[in-house]
Amino acid sequence: MDELLSEGLSLMVYGMGFVIVFLTLLVIATSAMSRIVMRFEPAPLPKAAPKAKTMSSNPADDAQLIAVMTAAIHKFRNDRKGQ
Amino acid sequence: MEALLSIWRDSGLSNLTVGQVVMIFVGFILLYLAINKKFEPLLLVPIGFGGILANIPQAGIAYSAVENAFYFGGPEVLTELSHLLGSASGNIAEMKVLYADAAASLKAAATFVAQDNGYNNGMLYNFYSIAILSGAAPLLIFMGVGAMTDFGPLLANPRMMYLGAAAQFGIFATVIGAVGLTTMGIMDFSIQEAAAIGIIGGADGPTAIWVSTMLAPHLLGAIAVSAYAYMALVPMVQPPIMRLLTTERERKIVMSQLRHVSKREKIMFPIVLLLLVALLLPAAAPLLGMFCFGNLMRECGVVDRLSDTAQNALINIVTIFLGLSVGSVLVADKFLDLQTLGIMILGIIAFAIGTASGVLMAKIMNSMMGGNAINPLIGSAGVSAVPMAARVSNKLGLEANPQNFLLMHAMGPNVAGVIGSAIAAGVMIKFVG
Repeated sequence: MDELLSEGLSLMVYGMGFVIVFLTLLVIATSAMSRIVMRFEPAPLPKAAPKAKTMSSNPADDAQLIAVMTAAIHKFRNDRKGQ
Repeated sequence: MEALLSIWRDSGLSNLTVGQVVMIFVGFILLYLAINKKFEPLLLVPIGFGGILANIPQAGIAYSAVENAFYFGGPEVLTELSHLLGSASGNIAEMKVLYADAAASLKAAATFVAQDNGYNNGMLYNFYSIAILSGAAPLLIFMGVGAMTDFGPLLANPRMMYLGAAAQFGIFATVIGAVGLTTMGIMDFSIQEAAAIGIIGGADGPTAIWVSTMLAPHLLGAIAVSAYAYMALVPMVQPPIMRLLTTERERKIVMSQLRHVSKREKIMFPIVLLLLVALLLPAAAPLLGMFCFGNLMRECGVVDRLSDTAQNALINIVTIFLGLSVGSVLVADKFLDLQTLGIMILGIIAFAIGTASGVLMAKIMNSMMGGNAINPLIGSAGVSAVPMAARVSNKLGLEANPQNFLLMHAMGPNVAGVIGSAIAAGVMIKFVG
């Protein structure tokens, strides 16, 4: 019976010790990983400057857009007449 | 008249034993707790119903082919089995003992004899052998839990890991309790059984089931039921202990906001954890391996479909089978026992000690870090039970200071507790398995 008790005690000492050692190593490894990742992480990109996408503010693009739309409407109407 | 008598003889009513009546009643209590009191209904409904099914007389739903042959077989099959097992008397009780101790090859031969005579595994027994005996169901659930876990709060403050470690003390203290009861002659637990009971203190259902399958399969029913019942009781068990161990001023501590954690850190974490497990404790690799796999699927962002299945559809399917299988071991001759009572009592002690040691560890860390950095209430979340324990910490924090939201801070120790109890499980299996 005493043997059982000592077995239980050693399980407690080893078990608790191992849990603490493991999680300590995990803390170290995780902190190291975070530091490395943050060093290599490209600095967060500045919000992509609003350009190119905003076509309507560009008069040349507007002219092109109008030309394309006119052509499309013409074709659509001609097709309808053809029917 | 003869026909009427034979119908009566085969009816449930005439074959019902007292043990079965009690166990069916236990099944109804579990259903009541789940449906009316909302105690972990996702598990207690299948467990309770499985328990009722397993105790239906004459149906043999929870028995293997050989057990069914023992209970319902005619003289021919019993003679054949007694020859095979080398039983001199042909007594059923003796044959059961011989069968339980038989080598795997002999068991297989006995199963074939039973099957040749038309006796088959019951449905729940099939579920049990596929889901639990194989170890598959707890591991799949762990994968789903990994896919649901956000390690962000823990990565933002890795020192919270110590709270998850401290709360595991409940597990090992309970092992001593079980062993002590045996030494004093009150109960009779082997070291394997004591270890399996202690793991209830980890407050982690799948881990408890996995460990008890490995170390003490005959106690599975009692251990699983008490593990899930106590997880449901977290909001009632923990607050008094937490209030007792902390002062009003400590409960009011406001913690600084957590830093932002990048996606790459979250992707790297399961890999770092897996490497560490592989290097230091391969015994915990099945549990933590599946956990890391689930978490990697979640964080890597390229397999959202798999991650979604793991944390929803798959975990639900597995839960149904796991619950029914646990229910299938709630049969009278394995459950109605003084040991079950001992397990229930030791389980709640394990839980209370775990909570207390988490809070005390938080107090120690707090005083080491200047006395105003950690609110000790989050220490109790170190006993896994995700996310219930973290919510309890949050609730008590709000009681002391309505502006103090501790939930995210408590999630750190909470997920650390999952890792901690899986490590404790690995150590147990390594040392006494």
